Amino acid sequence: MTPRVVVTGLGVVAPIGIGVGQFWKSALAGRSGVSAISAFEGLPMEAYRSRVAGQIHDFNVGQYIEGPHAERVDRYAQFAMVATKEAVADSGLRLDRENPRRIGTIVGAGMGGMVIAEQEYHRVYQNLRPNRVTPNFIPAVTLNSASGVIAIMCGAKGPNLTISTACSSSAHAIGLARAAIRSGQADVVIVAGADASIVPLTFAGFCSLRALSTSFNDTPERASRPFSQTRDGFVMGEGAGVLILESLAHARKRRARIYAEVSGYAATSEAYHMVIPREDGLDISSTMAMALRDAGVQPAQVDYINAHATSTPIGDVVEIKAIKRLFKSRATRISINATKSLVGHTMGAAGALAGIICAMTLSTGQIHPTINYDDPDPDCALPGISTQAQERPVKVALLNAFGFGSNNAAVVLEKFLP
Amino acid sequence: MPTESDIALRVRSALAEYLKRDVKTIKSGDTLRDDLGLDSLATIELVYQIEEAFDLEIPDHDLPGLVTVANVTAYIEGKLGHA
Repeated sequence: MTPRVVVTGLGVVAPIGIGVGQFWKSALAGRSGVSAISAFEGLPMEAYRSRVAGQIHDFNVGQYIEGPHAERVDRYAQFAMVATKEAVADSGLRLDRENPRRIGTIVGAGMGGMVIAEQEYHRVYQNLRPNRVTPNFIPAVTLNSASGVIAIMCGAKGPNLTISTACSSSAHAIGLARAAIRSGQADVVIVAGADASIVPLTFAGFCSLRALSTSFNDTPERASRPFSQTRDGFVMGEGAGVLILESLAHARKRRARIYAEVSGYAATSEAYHMVIPREDGLDISSTMAMALRDAGVQPAQVDYINAHATSTPIGDVVEIKAIKRLFKSRATRISINATKSLVGHTMGAAGALAGIICAMTLSTGQIHPTINYDDPDPDCALPGISTQAQERPVKVALLNAFGFGSNNAAVVLEKFLP
Repeated sequence: MPTESDIALRVRSALAEYLKRDVKTIKSGDTLRDDLGLDSLATIELVYQIEEAFDLEIPDHDLPGLVTVANVTAYIEGKLGHA
């Protein structure tokens, strides 16, 4: 029989909290983690069209992880290590008692080690001394550096993989971790999503793409405003989320606490445009439909959607169009929220953060507010979107994640019923 | 020019910084690999820092000779004309 897959541990490093307790409390309170970027060393901030971001301030990996190794990896991998440590502890797994070959690591990362990358690019072109590039450059910037260090830290000898599909990376990581457990490759998979690319060149690139919010530089906490009429682009965020996925049999054997079941997943391509979704939302609605079919759930059973909702003019309206197309009259009875209203768009971490929010929502019945939805766009408005926290029994949750490169992911999580 | 003991201290300090240990716990007779636990990448990073700190160029064929902390110190002293 194909194993059922459950979530047994959570860990997070986010602009609104390090640790799931603080993160969830801030989310329910509708606290914004977006602030003004104080400076990019030496660069004129006024030349950046967008000057706000969801940054994690005063992060020092040494506070969380002992030893020299964590300091040698890039910031995004440090976030992933800290969130992994929390998630493993939260799951109650005793890694030293597990068969290491049955534990996998799958990480979603969109940009990877951009902090060290930009530092070294800058140094080599400025100093013209290629023999003075740090030996740690390549191990730190290869896109699978986070999955490597997590596997080493946890002694995990199962599949050790990195999924890079831009903004949807860790949603696909959740789906592929479930697939790895269902196919018998692993009993446990540490699923992480992480990115930390609020650095001068990368940030400037997103500015040039005209993808970022520019009208709220003086009121940063208002800049990320999914579904609002005055939204004008996304806000860059950074962070990491980790979920411990486990076969139900393995979780039961060790009497683990179960947050939720991961019951469905779909991945599709729009084969359309590198950075723009198809305006009819057809591929998005069919992705959600496929994930629900995979879970054996009818659209009418869905209670809650964690929307991709990045706060871009096109993206939000297309997602709502797709939701209306698939769910028809049910669309008005589903609670929907946008986690990015709180933390900005954490790129590779976004799918994992959404997964954590779904797991917490399923296990508590609480739905965090969508902040800055104070001037609803009529083309996005649905009664289930609220600036207030909501409470209702949630049995079926769906999370959406779409990525540059024309790719879509949808994951179904359900309240665990034995 | 730094004195010989300055060089020895700077080498031990660089190792202490890298390993997050008290500099007093690093002895000149310690081997980099077995006593201090530096793997090959960590050793290369140390060599990189020494090149930076002392403005040296250390060729690949000199690396096998750098086994103990004392070897590293003597090597730098030799390069800087202290030996």
